[in-house]
Amino acid sequence: MKASRPLAVLLATLVLAGCANLQEIRDYADASAEFSAYTELTTRFRDTYQREQPYLSGEAERLARDNDQKRQAAYADLLVIHQRVTLYMQTLARLAGDDAFDLSPQIDSLSAGIKAHPELGIDAQQVDAAANLSQVISRWLTASYQQRAVRSMITEGDPHLQKMLVAMLTLIRYYRQTSENEKNTVLGFFAVEIPFADPSQDRLLLALARAQLQTRSAEYNELQRQYDAAEQGIRSMAEGHRQLLANLDRLSSAEARAMISKFAQDIKTIRENLGTVRS
Amino acid sequence: MALANQQQVEALAASITGCADAIHGRLMQAIRDREIDRYTAQTIFQDEAVLRQQANSLYIDAANCVVKDLAESQQGIMELIDGAREKIGLIKEIATFIDLIADLLVLAAAAYAAKPLPILAALQEVQADVKALKAES
Repeated sequence: MKASRPLAVLLATLVLAGCANLQEIRDYADASAEFSAYTELTTRFRDTYQREQPYLSGEAERLARDNDQKRQAAYADLLVIHQRVTLYMQTLARLAGDDAFDLSPQIDSLSAGIKAHPELGIDAQQVDAAANLSQVISRWLTASYQQRAVRSMITEGDPHLQKMLVAMLTLIRYYRQTSENEKNTVLGFFAVEIPFADPSQDRLLLALARAQLQTRSAEYNELQRQYDAAEQGIRSMAEGHRQLLANLDRLSSAEARAMISKFAQDIKTIRENLGTVRS
Repeated sequence: MALANQQQVEALAASITGCADAIHGRLMQAIRDREIDRYTAQTIFQDEAVLRQQANSLYIDAANCVVKDLAESQQGIMELIDGAREKIGLIKEIATFIDLIADLLVLAAAAYAAKPLPILAALQEVQADVKALKAES
């Protein structure tokens, strides 16, 4: 009995060391993958012409049609940026996943195989003991392999990811400015035309125009919140990854884990808010 | 493109937008003060809209610059993702390997017991494992 206690302590230590503690990284990467898959603003940018077309004529309409073609052509490349970031985050989540490096099903089937054949002359209890020990050791080995893999992905990925996220922020700035011009074209049209409408003759038209003006104004105000949220989410993703990199050697510390969890939570919350905003 | 880089394109787009905004402010002032008739107001507004379209055209050029500048990073990210997949794949090979050992044990036991049917079944399992290993490597 006495001799087995140090063994139990050793096993317990190995089990603990075997836990890679990558749950928080996985949460962060999952939340980020979902966030970068949000492409509504990019699609809105592509569809600018549809919304402004009724308010344009002459030279402006002709230019708008050219711009529409250019935007349609650029759309696929813009989506690829979302997809790359999403794929990176999904891969990081998988790499940090519980089952990515788990060998226990195989060890279980191995020991079951041995036990099913008493003619091999191996005692079932011995098999169990050996299997348990191999579980612990393989978990410990693969956990350190997994930690190295996650670390190297974060280290090598950071410069590229940061660049892509900066690019996403820049693009959102262009989407916002494009949308601002669309807004001023649409709302400006009403602002110019309404004062000239004759209330005694065009009552119906005037009422419709005012109602449309209200709807569109509300839409553009709401949109500002979406751009803000998108920028905030991308900044959280960038900062979260920077913190992962800065804390690579103590990812298991309570402090680092709490911080990474917070980034994951922030990104999730922002994404959920974006989801509820009507477009 | 005549302009050297994305920042210059963006800056130009912003100043053209600024001109359109200024025109709009002055136009609204003129409408309020009844300085102009409807036709003139519409003409000025169309000019404003033309400027906004020109600015938006530059924003698309700038966005395309961003995409182009990103080629290297996109390539880097893809290589990393492939590398990570390989790492996960490597561990899967070990898993298949252990499966193979388990099945080999079954085969050995069946051979030991000299039962033809289990031997055949076990042989098939082993064959499948070896195939899986080859497919992965």
